[in-house]
Amino acid sequence: MLALPELQRAFGAAILTGDAGALAHAIEGDGLPPAARLQIYRNHVLDSLTEVLKATYPVICRLVDERFFGYAADRYIRSHPPSGPCLFEYGETFPSFLEGFPPCRDLAYLPDVARLEWAASVALHADDLPALAVAALGEIPAVRLPGLRLRLHPSLSLHASPWPVDLIWRANQPDREPAGIVDLGAGSACLEVRRSGDDVVLRRLDAAAFTLRRALLEGGSLGDAAAASAVDSGVDFGAALFELFGEGMVVGFESSTSTQETT
Amino acid sequence: MTLADGNSSRPPARAGIGLRAPHVAEVMATHPAVPWFEVHAENYLGGGPALRPLETVRRDYPIALHAVGLSLGSAEGLDERHLDRLRRLVERLDPFLVSEHLSWSVVGGVYLNHLLPLPYREETLALLCRHVDRAQEALGRRLLVENPSSYLRFSHSCIPEPEFLAELARRTGCGLLCDVNNIYVTCENLGLDPNAYVDALPPGTVGEIHLAGHSVNEAEGRPVLIDDHGSRVAEPVWVLFGRALARFGPAPTLVEWDTNLPALEVLLDEAQAADRWLAPARSDKTNARAA
Repeated sequence: MLALPELQRAFGAAILTGDAGALAHAIEGDGLPPAARLQIYRNHVLDSLTEVLKATYPVICRLVDERFFGYAADRYIRSHPPSGPCLFEYGETFPSFLEGFPPCRDLAYLPDVARLEWAASVALHADDLPALAVAALGEIPAVRLPGLRLRLHPSLSLHASPWPVDLIWRANQPDREPAGIVDLGAGSACLEVRRSGDDVVLRRLDAAAFTLRRALLEGGSLGDAAAASAVDSGVDFGAALFELFGEGMVVGFESSTSTQETT
Repeated sequence: MTLADGNSSRPPARAGIGLRAPHVAEVMATHPAVPWFEVHAENYLGGGPALRPLETVRRDYPIALHAVGLSLGSAEGLDERHLDRLRRLVERLDPFLVSEHLSWSVVGGVYLNHLLPLPYREETLALLCRHVDRAQEALGRRLLVENPSSYLRFSHSCIPEPEFLAELARRTGCGLLCDVNNIYVTCENLGLDPNAYVDALPPGTVGEIHLAGHSVNEAEGRPVLIDDHGSRVAEPVWVLFGRALARFGPAPTLVEWDTNLPALEVLLDEAQAADRWLAPARSDKTNARAA
């Protein structure tokens, strides 16, 4: 007799590998082979998680077609099963899985498109945090400003790709007619995904805004961000910073002596 | 410990429906005459806009919260982080009842997205009691525990499922969510008698009833019923529902529909069909009280 911990381990392995193993002896047939009974559970787990991935990655599904997506999803689910019951949190590693998935080798842009879809899902489910007004900076002595670290909205992410992944993403939305052929030679893209109100927005950033936001997102201070931006000539650092506040993307800051959060 | 179900604005024993994302805008615009809605907890545990329409709907309708992710039967214990997220949602929505399942889904930190079967034995019962006690303590609510639909049984199971549920309710004070379709599906798949199952559940513990459609598949030339919530309630399930009402008395009843989701009006129509079964049970109860 299998004790409950062993039984559940064997059941989990049977679902993920398809091999009933020792579990088969613990199951009453009742007119069906135990493996056929286990297969009913297995089908549900794999099918329902494939639907979850399809909902999070509709553009990938459209790009590779539904049948191939199902094949890739099956491999992904069995090697990277979910770790929790909130399934909008499942699938973070699907882009890197696609990157290493041999059948996708010729679709080099696919992982970057998938990263955009994951970022859109994260942005949609990110906590609502009240924006900090730029006036809050006025309370900081000027001498401390360069050391200030801004906390950015959790929906915000940045994506640099050698491919025009935003054009691919827009042309392959699931609810739209196919929008012609995207020229893969259209060049690289510096992109931002974030929430705006209740919507998720994807947009191209110019080099200055991208560099500034990336430096801040990576935990750099205002001084670090200014130095990074200065590499690009003609950058108005103050205007780029003001825009970030104006979009509600600054939700707190930390200086070496104080922490302010908007809660 | 005495535990309340929850919100004082408890709806009458009438039929509600599940609130599903494609119907939310229509519900807010048309305000249909349905006594209450049930929502799946795990869809509302993130941040952002998902919860906003529900905040509006709950001002006008009582809400039941149905969870699928606690994995009450996992040998490795409860996920305290998930329990805490659920607690915060319960505090925010103040549902009139909170329910979970007699099943498990988590092993080795992996969440297998299904309500998986348990061997019904004394040590399993002890584990379930610990976890239901802990969940009720954390949520500050009485939990309703639902019978799952089963496609297999373990040869070392030695307690019939309805008796296992009855004992769980007796030891923990939890209530039961009697899913009549699940009883039918389980009994058909495992060669058990659905009437005997209903008759073995203790009256007085059933706080909610679920109804749903199932599909009939085939495995190795044998029919297998799949609890897919993708069609109207089957005729034998209505009949079993009548038997359950006669035994348990009227209880808030939910028509579940999750796959092949039809127009809202089809769900409302199915809920009205359930209400036609509930009405005589309600008046029987009134008559009994008057007598």
